[in-house]
Amino acid sequence: MTLLLDIATTAAVLFIVASGLLAIFGVLKIINFAHGAWLTVGAYCSVLIAHWGLNPWLSLPFAFLVGAALGALTERLIVKPLYRRPLDAILATWGLGIVIGQLITLWFGRDVQMTPNLMSGTVGFLGVDYSAYRLFAVVAALAVGIGFTFLLDGTRLGLSARAVIMNESLARALGIDTGNVRLLTFVIGTGLAGLAGALLTPLTSVDPNMGVAWLIGAFMLVMVAGSSFGALAVACLLFGGAQVLVSTFLNPVLGGVTIAVLCALVLRLNPKGFARG
Amino acid sequence: MRDGSNGWKAGDDLLKLSAVSSGYGAVTIVKDISLTIKRGEIFAVMGKNGMGKTTLLKTILGFIELKAGDVTLEGASLRGVAPAKLIASGVAYAPQDQPLFQDLSIRDNIRLALRSDREFKNASERAFSYFPFLRDRLGQKAGTLSGGEQKMLTLARSLMHQPKMLLVDEVSEGLQPSVVDRIAAALKNERDANGVTILMVEQNLDFALRVADRWAILKLGAIDDQGGMESNTRERVLEHLKI
Repeated sequence: MTLLLDIATTAAVLFIVASGLLAIFGVLKIINFAHGAWLTVGAYCSVLIAHWGLNPWLSLPFAFLVGAALGALTERLIVKPLYRRPLDAILATWGLGIVIGQLITLWFGRDVQMTPNLMSGTVGFLGVDYSAYRLFAVVAALAVGIGFTFLLDGTRLGLSARAVIMNESLARALGIDTGNVRLLTFVIGTGLAGLAGALLTPLTSVDPNMGVAWLIGAFMLVMVAGSSFGALAVACLLFGGAQVLVSTFLNPVLGGVTIAVLCALVLRLNPKGFARG
Repeated sequence: MRDGSNGWKAGDDLLKLSAVSSGYGAVTIVKDISLTIKRGEIFAVMGKNGMGKTTLLKTILGFIELKAGDVTLEGASLRGVAPAKLIASGVAYAPQDQPLFQDLSIRDNIRLALRSDREFKNASERAFSYFPFLRDRLGQKAGTLSGGEQKMLTLARSLMHQPKMLLVDEVSEGLQPSVVDRIAAALKNERDANGVTILMVEQNLDFALRVADRWAILKLGAIDDQGGMESNTRERVLEHLKI
């Protein structure tokens, strides 16, 4: 049972981390390689909240808002002129990620930062004592998933975003301001990256390079999932599960590369990954 | 041309193209076109494939940048006006290629052309008045409609807001005569009753001449001939379109 919970909670964490990247990739068709940096920014928001002596739970909305605000600036100043040059956009966001990492190092230093636990201890669940916070991560992932489903299927912004994904020229011909749809999507994506960073702080050490490792896994998962949040959930469950199994029964180091290797294999066999069509 | 039943007044210039040239990159496709379309007029631009008809419409809408000349709507230049802003100001467009979101329902295809869902009831009723079958099939995916039904949905969606100007790209292409008749009736009624000015691009000579008040022939991106409806118009246009 503990193993099943490990799989579920690992998948949940991966989903939270990758969802912002998927939102941006699905609508904007660019890979935001600064995603890891926004994640780090979110984690350092938790550090600041702790430093200011505020309630640790405030770090979640604070990290989302900081990620969203910086994302808005990034979209307007750096990404917007590069939508027709996706390769340059990848390079620009990669460079931006490096700059953000260096700025964080300048500000906070290279040392690992400590943050208070949002939720400590274990709870009895399905007959085993399990980390309360890892179970909370599943709830958070469900909230993100349901929130996205509502946003995409239940709001005009979501309908417009789906229209832009399907046929941007037609969306423009109907008078949809595709520039605003792109901006809002980017802001939501970077906001989610910030939120993910804050949510990760009880599970991982906070340092200026913490986002890099998460970026690789999230990138591979998004490549496999295409632009579908359902496919992303399945990919996180399958490959996150494989990571847990390999780490538990073979070797934790091998477990660390499991997601990248399996995703590469899937893309080799089917370049469209889990996407339909 | 005459004044309409809803009190609209025909006659003043609505859309004016002055020595317009446009194209893609270094390639100029539309060359030095000047046209004036009056309010309440139906104007047909005809020509063979690849003569620049669709490029002309996309230039007017701002999807393709002007290389030279100017386009004005009600006297105001459209140079630099974003397509979304122009469409929000009352210009509708029924494109020829991929005019619908195939994986979305009829309802969502209609919603996407509205600025708010609150407009859905009134706007969709206008659309359904011409094509009632849409009312009963709102949940159906657009991609599962027949070719004729898709054209009717495309046109219905563009008419929902009672636009002051409608740009229509080859709406009759590949349709059976009964569907073409319904579309022709819808276009003429919109003009007659509501004063909607229509600029249509067509290869279907019979359809275009049945609906339009004036016409122009586009050849290699330039106007080769133009005129009104006269006794020899059909022969004159045929002469330009024959292979």
